Amino acid sequence: MIDLTKKAGLNLNSRHRAEQRFRWAGRSAIAISLMFLTLMVGSIAITASGSLRQTQIAVQVDLSADNVDPSDPASASYGRLIKSGLRSMFPDVTSRRAKKALYNLVSPEGSFEAARMVAENPDLLGGTQTLWLTASDDLDLYLRGKIDITLPEKQRQISEAEVVWIDSLQAADQLRRVANWNFLTNGDSREPEIAGILSALVGSLYSLAVCFALSFPIGIGAAIYLEEFAPANRLSDLIEVNINNLAAVPSIVFGLLGLSIFLGYMGLPRSSPLVGGMVLALMTLPTIIIAARAALRSVPPSFKEAALALGASPVQAVFHHVFPVAMPGMLTGAIIGMAQALGETAPLLMIGMVAFIVDIPDSILEPATALPVQIFLWADSPERAFTEKTAAAIIVLLIFLISMNLIAILLRRKLETRF
Amino acid sequence: MEHEHIVKKFDKNLEKIKATIVEMGGLVGLQVNDATAVLSSYDKAEVDRITAYDRIINGLNKDIHDRAEILIVRRQPMALDLRQTLAPINISGELERIGDHAKSTAKRAHIIHNAPPEDATLDMIGQMSTKVQAMLADVIIAYANADIDLAAKIRAQDKDVDMLYKQVVKTVIETLTKTPDKAESLIHITLIARNFERIGDHVCNVARYVHQIVTGEDLKASADPSELRLDK
Amino acid sequence: MIDPIITARGVDIFYDTNQAIHNVDLDILPNKVTAFIGPSGCGKSTFLRAINRMNDLIPTCRVTGDMKIAGQDIYAPAVDVVALRAQVGMVFQKPNPFPKSIFENVAYGLKIHKITDSKTEMQDRVEWSLRSAGLWAEVADRLDQPGNSLSGGQQQRLCIARAIAVKPKVILMDEPCSALDPIATAVVEELIDNLRKDYTIVIVTHSMQQAARVSQRTAFFHLGTLVEFGDTKTIFTTPEDERTQNYITGRIG
Repeated sequence: MIDLTKKAGLNLNSRHRAEQRFRWAGRSAIAISLMFLTLMVGSIAITASGSLRQTQIAVQVDLSADNVDPSDPASASYGRLIKSGLRSMFPDVTSRRAKKALYNLVSPEGSFEAARMVAENPDLLGGTQTLWLTASDDLDLYLRGKIDITLPEKQRQISEAEVVWIDSLQAADQLRRVANWNFLTNGDSREPEIAGILSALVGSLYSLAVCFALSFPIGIGAAIYLEEFAPANRLSDLIEVNINNLAAVPSIVFGLLGLSIFLGYMGLPRSSPLVGGMVLALMTLPTIIIAARAALRSVPPSFKEAALALGASPVQAVFHHVFPVAMPGMLTGAIIGMAQALGETAPLLMIGMVAFIVDIPDSILEPATALPVQIFLWADSPERAFTEKTAAAIIVLLIFLISMNLIAILLRRKLETRF
Repeated sequence: MEHEHIVKKFDKNLEKIKATIVEMGGLVGLQVNDATAVLSSYDKAEVDRITAYDRIINGLNKDIHDRAEILIVRRQPMALDLRQTLAPINISGELERIGDHAKSTAKRAHIIHNAPPEDATLDMIGQMSTKVQAMLADVIIAYANADIDLAAKIRAQDKDVDMLYKQVVKTVIETLTKTPDKAESLIHITLIARNFERIGDHVCNVARYVHQIVTGEDLKASADPSELRLDK
Repeated sequence: MIDPIITARGVDIFYDTNQAIHNVDLDILPNKVTAFIGPSGCGKSTFLRAINRMNDLIPTCRVTGDMKIAGQDIYAPAVDVVALRAQVGMVFQKPNPFPKSIFENVAYGLKIHKITDSKTEMQDRVEWSLRSAGLWAEVADRLDQPGNSLSGGQQQRLCIARAIAVKPKVILMDEPCSALDPIATAVVEELIDNLRKDYTIVIVTHSMQQAARVSQRTAFFHLGTLVEFGDTKTIFTTPEDERTQNYITGRIG
C-alpha cells in the first residue's frame, strides 16, 4: 500500500526544513534591504523637508515717487530702501555694527526681489508698501529651532540682539513661512536661502539629451552590425572583448579623455552640456552595446530565417523582424545606461562642470553644471542650511531616476510584442 | 530477409503467421491423405471425423486473417513486409479450399463403397492423391524457405496431375458407355478426380504466391506467357 | 518526356572538412511532389537547403557541383540570391509566422519585392494566397489579429500562404508536419496535393507513410548519398536497393 503521508524513509523532513530555511533567508534578506532603504531614503527625506518651506519677513518699504522714479522703477536703489525700511521698524538700532546685523535679517536677494515685485506690479508705487521678502538663512534656521541658543554668543551664527529682533517680529506676525518654490526655479547661489537646483537640473537634462542623442543611435547601430552583419573572425572577437572591458573602465578616465580631446584638441566650450553629454555618451556606449547585443541574441532566429527564405535582403530581414522584437530589451538597456549617466560626477568634474553656475543655461554650449555635481558642491559648503538643500537635491535626483525607470517599464510594456 | 526488424515484435508476428500457414498446410495434407484412404477402406466414423475436422482448418484460416489485419493496422508494412502480410491471406484461402475438396471427397466415399469402380480408375486417383500431397508438402516447404525454384518445380508438376485427370475422365466415359447402370458411382468418381485436380491447381496458386512474396511479381498476370513455365 | 525544373549533378556539400553530401545526381520534375526520405543525419535537409541557398547562412558550409534551376546555375557569381529565394520558397518544420498581423505576414513578401502596385491589388493577392492555403474561411474576419494567435496547423498554413503569395516556381518544405497533430497534418497534406497543380514541391519528411501518401517521386538518402530515386509506388513496394528496403521496413542494417 502506498502511504502518501509517510514522512520517514524519503528524507522528507530534512528536505522540507532546508526549503523553509532557504525561504526564510530570502524573506529576511528582502526585509533587511527594505529596512535599510527606508532608513536611508527616510533620513534624507527628513533632512530635505527642512527646505520645503522658507521664511519671509515683512518689510516696510517706501516706494513713493521721491525714492522710485515711476517712469524707471528699475533704477531705484532697492537695497537702500529696504535698509531704511528695516531701520524704521527698529528705530532704536543705532550703532553701525548693530545696523549691519539688522540688515542681515533680510536675504541679500531681497533687493532684487523688491525690484521684481515692482516691475510685475507697478500699482505698488507711490506709497509705503509692506513687501514680503526672503529672510536670511540664519533667521530661518533660528525660527525652526536649529540654532543652539544655549551656546555662548561667540560660538553661534546669530547674536543676542538678533534673537530679540526675530522674536519681536514673530510676535508681531511679521514673519511667515511659505512654500519654497525658489528651490526649483532658481540657479545656484552663495546664499542658501535662495539657492535652487534649476540650473543643475537643466544642465543635467541637456547633458543627458546630448548623451542619448549620441549614444543611442551609435550604440544600437553598432550592436546590430556586430551581432548580425560582422563576420565571425578574430577581429570581431577582439572588438567584443574590448567593449566588455570598456564597460568596466572607471568613469573618470572618460573625463580625462574629454578634457584632453574635446576641450584641449577640439576646443569645445568648457563646462558645457555638449562636452558633458559627449563624455557621458562615451561612458554609456559600452553598456548600451552590450545590452542591445543581448537583446538581439534573444530573438529566435526563426523570424530572420523565414524572412530570408522569402527573399528579404539581410538588412531588410534584420530591420523588419529582428530589430522590432529586440527593441524593448534595447530600450531597457539604454535607460539603464542613461540612469547611470545621470548619476555620474567624476567625468563631469574633469571637464569643468564643477563651476559655480548661477544662470540657467540657454543652450548646450553655455556653461552648466549637473545635479550630482551640484550635490557635491553643496555638500562641501559650510553653511548649515546647505545641508538641507543637499538632501533635497538628492531627493530630486532620486525622483528623476525613478521616473526614468518608470518610463522604461511603460515603454517596454507598450512595445513588447507577444510571440 | 537476413536483417531483423528494429521492433522485435514485428518479426515475431510475421513468424507466427508463417508458422500458422505451415501448421495449416500440414493439417490439410493429412485431410487429403485420410480422405483418399477412406475411399478404399470405407469407415463412416472416419468420414464424420474428417468432415468435422474441416472446421478446425477453417478456424486456422480465420486466425491468419485476423493476424494479418492487426499487423496492417499496427505496422503499416511496406514492400517485403507488405507482401509477407497479404500473401498468407490468399494462401490460407487456397489451403482452406483444398480442405473443402478433401471433405467433399470423403463425403462421396460411401457411394464409391457401394459401387466400387475399376481398380485402374481407383489406382489413378490414388496416384493423383499421392502427387498432390507431395506437391502440397513441397509448396509448404517452399513457402517456409522462400524457395522460388522449388515453387517453380511444383508448378511444373501440375501437368502430371492434369494428365491423370484427363485419363480418369476418358476411362469413365468408356466405362459409362459399357455399363450405364454404374452411372451414379462413375459420376462421383469423376467428381472425386476433379477434386484432386482442383487441389493441384490450388497448390499451384500457392506456389505463385510464394513467388510473388519473394519477387513482387504476379505470375498469373504476367504479360509474357513464357514466364508461366519456369522449369529453367 | 518532361524537362526537369531542378537538376543536380555531382553535388557535394561540406561543413568545414566534414562531407555531408556525396556526389548527388537528381532531377526534380515540375508540378510534382518529390519526397526526400532517410534516417536522421543523412543529409536530406542539407540538400534541400542547398536548393534555395539557405546554407549560405552557415559560414562553414560549402557547396560544389552543378545545381541548376530552370537551366541556370544557382551558385554562379552573377546570381542574386535574393531573386533566387523569391522564386524558391521555403516552409519550415516549426511554424514561424512573424510577430505581426495575419495580413502583414502574407503581405510581407509582396512588400519587399514590390510585387503589387496598389493597396487593392495587395489585398486581392493576400486573399488569394489565404484561399489557396485553405485558410481564408477561418481568418477572413480577423486579418489584423497577430499571426501567432492561430493554432499550430493554422500557423503552418499561414506560412504556406506567405510563401505562395510571391508565386514562386518551387516550394521547399522541411518536415512541415512534424510539429502538427494528425488532423492538422491531414489538412496540410490535402493542401500539398492541391498546390501540386501550380507549384513544384520538394518535401523532406521523417514519415514514410507521409512520403508514400503525398509524393509522386521519392529519393532515399543514406549517410549523405542518394541511394535510390524513383517513382514513389516502386520505392515503397519493390525497392531495388537493399538499403532502401531495410529503411522503409524498419530493419536494422
